[in-house]
Amino acid sequence: MGMASVNTASEGMQLCIFDLRRGQQEGQELDKILFFFPADLPFATQLSVIGLSEGLITFTRIFSPDAACEVIEAERHSHVFFEAESDIWMVMVVEKSKESKAACQVDALRKVLKEVHSLFVLFHGTMRSMLEKETSGGLIRSHLYPFITDYLSDFLIGKKLQLPSFHDCLMERGTVQMLTVGREAAIEVQSLVKVLECSAGTTSCYSLVLFQDLLVSTTLSPDDTISLFTYAVLRWFRGNDGFLASDIWGADNGSQTSVTPIVYLQLTEERMYLCAYQYKRLTIILLVPVSSILNGEQGLSLVKQQVLENVCVLSVPASLKMLRVEEKLSKGWGGENAYHVSGYRYLLVDDERVSRASPPAKVMTLAKDSLLAMSKLREEVNLEKRAKCSTSEVNSDKELEICVRAKNGAWVIARTSRGKELYMVLEKASETLLYASDAVEKFSNRYCSGVFSLD
Amino acid sequence: MSSSDSSSSSASDDPNPKLKPQPLESQFQSSLTLEDSDGVARTDDASVAEQQQEQQDEGSGNGSVDGVVNVEDNGHRDSSDREEGIGSGEARDGDGGSGGGGGVVWRRANSEVELEVEAPASPSSSGYAGGRGSSGASSASRADDASEEDEIEVVGNDDGGAVGAPDSQAEWTPGKRHVDEDDASISWRKRKKHFFILSNSGKPIYSRYGDEHKLAGFSATLQAIISFVENGGDRVKYVKAGMHQVVFLVKGPIYLVCISCTEEPFESLVAQLELVYGQMILILTKSLNRCFEKNPKFDMTPLLGGTDVVFSALIHSFSWNPAAFLHAYACLPLPYATRQAAGAILQDVADSGVLFALLMCKHRVGTSLKVISLVGAQKASLHPDDMLLLGNFIMSSESFRQVTSESFSPICLPRYNPMAFLHAYVHYFDADTYLILLTTRSDAFYHLKDCRIRIETVLLKSNVLSEVQRSTLDGGMRVEDLSVDLQQHTGSTSRVEDKPHTETPERIRESSLVGLGGPAGLWHFLYRSVYLDQYVSSEFSSPINTHRQQKRLYRAYQKLYVSMHSKGIGPHKTQFRRDENYVLLCWVTPDFELYAAFDPLADKALAIKTCNKVCQWVKDVENEIFLLGASPFSW
Repeated sequence: MGMASVNTASEGMQLCIFDLRRGQQEGQELDKILFFFPADLPFATQLSVIGLSEGLITFTRIFSPDAACEVIEAERHSHVFFEAESDIWMVMVVEKSKESKAACQVDALRKVLKEVHSLFVLFHGTMRSMLEKETSGGLIRSHLYPFITDYLSDFLIGKKLQLPSFHDCLMERGTVQMLTVGREAAIEVQSLVKVLECSAGTTSCYSLVLFQDLLVSTTLSPDDTISLFTYAVLRWFRGNDGFLASDIWGADNGSQTSVTPIVYLQLTEERMYLCAYQYKRLTIILLVPVSSILNGEQGLSLVKQQVLENVCVLSVPASLKMLRVEEKLSKGWGGENAYHVSGYRYLLVDDERVSRASPPAKVMTLAKDSLLAMSKLREEVNLEKRAKCSTSEVNSDKELEICVRAKNGAWVIARTSRGKELYMVLEKASETLLYASDAVEKFSNRYCSGVFSLD
Repeated sequence: MSSSDSSSSSASDDPNPKLKPQPLESQFQSSLTLEDSDGVARTDDASVAEQQQEQQDEGSGNGSVDGVVNVEDNGHRDSSDREEGIGSGEARDGDGGSGGGGGVVWRRANSEVELEVEAPASPSSSGYAGGRGSSGASSASRADDASEEDEIEVVGNDDGGAVGAPDSQAEWTPGKRHVDEDDASISWRKRKKHFFILSNSGKPIYSRYGDEHKLAGFSATLQAIISFVENGGDRVKYVKAGMHQVVFLVKGPIYLVCISCTEEPFESLVAQLELVYGQMILILTKSLNRCFEKNPKFDMTPLLGGTDVVFSALIHSFSWNPAAFLHAYACLPLPYATRQAAGAILQDVADSGVLFALLMCKHRVGTSLKVISLVGAQKASLHPDDMLLLGNFIMSSESFRQVTSESFSPICLPRYNPMAFLHAYVHYFDADTYLILLTTRSDAFYHLKDCRIRIETVLLKSNVLSEVQRSTLDGGMRVEDLSVDLQQHTGSTSRVEDKPHTETPERIRESSLVGLGGPAGLWHFLYRSVYLDQYVSSEFSSPINTHRQQKRLYRAYQKLYVSMHSKGIGPHKTQFRRDENYVLLCWVTPDFELYAAFDPLADKALAIKTCNKVCQWVKDVENEIFLLGASPFSW
């Protein structure tokens, strides 16, 4: 992607990563910087951004030793902080547009930082371990630069970076979206997963099954699932062997090599080969431990062969599993607007990991004022959630119900209950609070197994 | 200003150490004098002695124009009266003697500090009251129990309910505490809400906790943050870290900072900083900017000498006085005719060259002001924030509070005219009721005195003062008195016994299902009349009867207010909010705003109905609870 154009047109945003354990001696400050976007900004400016960030981190620790600076809100800019790894900070400085002034999506921006970090870790392991491997910092810089600029290019619309804003208040970054499957299809999927994970012989593998851009099945940990799902939805292209390949970590060299990507699992830091295969709308991802494959690529190609034979090859009648599952899921799938509920614009978040929402095209029909009000409401709910976390019982689920009738007459509603969150905009509801509450109740009973129902 | 405070513990044997005021002319000079009850100046450190000397040198003879006149009526003073009344070498102006049977002392009321509590409300409070200002963690922790003002973060603090907490803010003791702390102290770092005023060169001017002088380094850091961002062509609004918020407000050469972990929204905190700044302007006027223009390193601390108590009282009020976030004032409920009578005589004096005439009274609990009547000269209107700041200034200053004494002090109303001093004549008719006459003329003391005598005569004749006392005892609207049958409300705020008997059985029975309070689980409400700039608040009743619960409700209202009025997208029309503590309902219309708190289990439909009834009730009794048609409030 043409990141050169981003560099020149990126007045609106700066992103830096720095390591507080480096460059503490005078004259060596540049050593702190692991990444800076745009890279063509003068060093003095880069250092000034990092200097302010570092100063505020130190300052806020006086009062809040456990949670240092998270955001600096200034008239014209928001500085969003994320301590990705111990002493390694990511700071994004975003210029406020006129319309986002009312409600800056700080939480959404922090999730962007979190996401780019977890993706980096997925493919490269932690930044700290890379820094320990190669202390000059050259290695990590050479990895971060192509990785993050590539990631950022997804936000590029024309020549402008379109970062999360109030328009995105009815979606939740860092969650997976699931396909609802019928009982019969579920059994088919189950069987497919079994066969898939046996492809590498006795080795224990993990798998992920996606339909379209929805998750169908996973045997990975939740965090790894989110990272892989995020990445899978972002991009793939078809490699030479029919398996999917990716260029996210290989820079723009265009070499569609048959080198299989290796990913790091978060909890175990285990390294896994990532093999992805697509049949129509169905994608299967198989993770095979690197340690279990003796001859590298050669050994892996045998596993791939096995996968194909087990589940994919159409000529082998016994292994039409993938085809069958795809057919079954397609039949049950309601299409792009499958999860649209007429009259409602909603976001449902389960346990902060799984979300379901109105289709973006439907959300776009909402008035700007409704979106701004929802954006603001989400900010308030986030504050309440955090306050709850910090003050009292661990993992106590905040029970909260907020119904706001905005200036434009729309009802903007938030409900949290038993770890689930529901956000809803009702523009055509009638005037009364009772009617709006009733609408939530109906939705809850129908789509959330009554979690948000009061009675 | 902290040097005097730090000496307070050593002076604890002294029942009433006081900072003596100075003439206005010398207000830009340093002036701090400690004086004991004998009227003998005493100093606790060299700098104070120097300042005192300076004040004595400059004070004599030039206080007559802008100083405060404090005319003591000796006949009403008893030996236990700790108020000094006698200047420490300040000018005792000959003219003043003719003022009113006692000596006239020209003084700056804003230069005083209170280091002693008034008689403690209960024996239990004496334990910490005497120890105020003393050093040591033990006194801090005791004070924390007594008042959340001093609270140090404790996990779950706010959820702890009322264990060990006193039930009324009456026990709050004014003045600065924990002066021995600085930014290196753990206890200081854990205070829940800091306020700082500093100059743009980084010089500390005021800190809520700790000694300003010891906080010079910290102050410089705050200044560095502000100017760093400023140099980048931007202006820092706030910084967040965990539950902490650092909120910045730049007012020309004055920087104000609040560091808080109270979960109050940014908008509330910045509004509080605005009020703190306004309080400073009220004392000094905005012309202090000129001092900074002349000398950027200008040291302002001496100017505010002794006003710690004013700021700390204001900051304390941010935790319980709805006027601070509603930008409205409250009236004492009074029969319509009584208020009319008071208004008429105030109008009379206003026509004779008084800019504003305010008859106020102190709320039973705390030092909240309630307006009995208020009149402005033609076209002049008084902003509710100015009233809040003026009331706070007068009520937190001990010298004003001397019953039957008269004070004449320069003050500035920041919303009215931030550049100019007005002159306030203050007189207490009794312990709770006082009169403020504001004028632009510095030589109007005797005229205002005459006005006061006229007013007093009329008030006594028409029984206004006794009605005021009765109302203060009776209190205001009670949620228990809200009945289902609104027909029964015939325009009276009076309580059950005054009502027709028929209505009692008509009360909504649901209330018994969901707890105490009023019908449908109504616990409390606030009603703000938009056009009148006035609000009425129901009395706290069960189960909101501890200070901690009241403060929590106050904070919830404050949050709701900010949510309803969010910048750019507000105001919203309605909001219903249910959490583990309450059901809150808010309704904003062009005419009024209603904030109501219910039992968290309250039924939604009944709660809505009840809110409608509250609005009707308020309308029914608006003649008594609001000041109507006094003067055009148009700003």
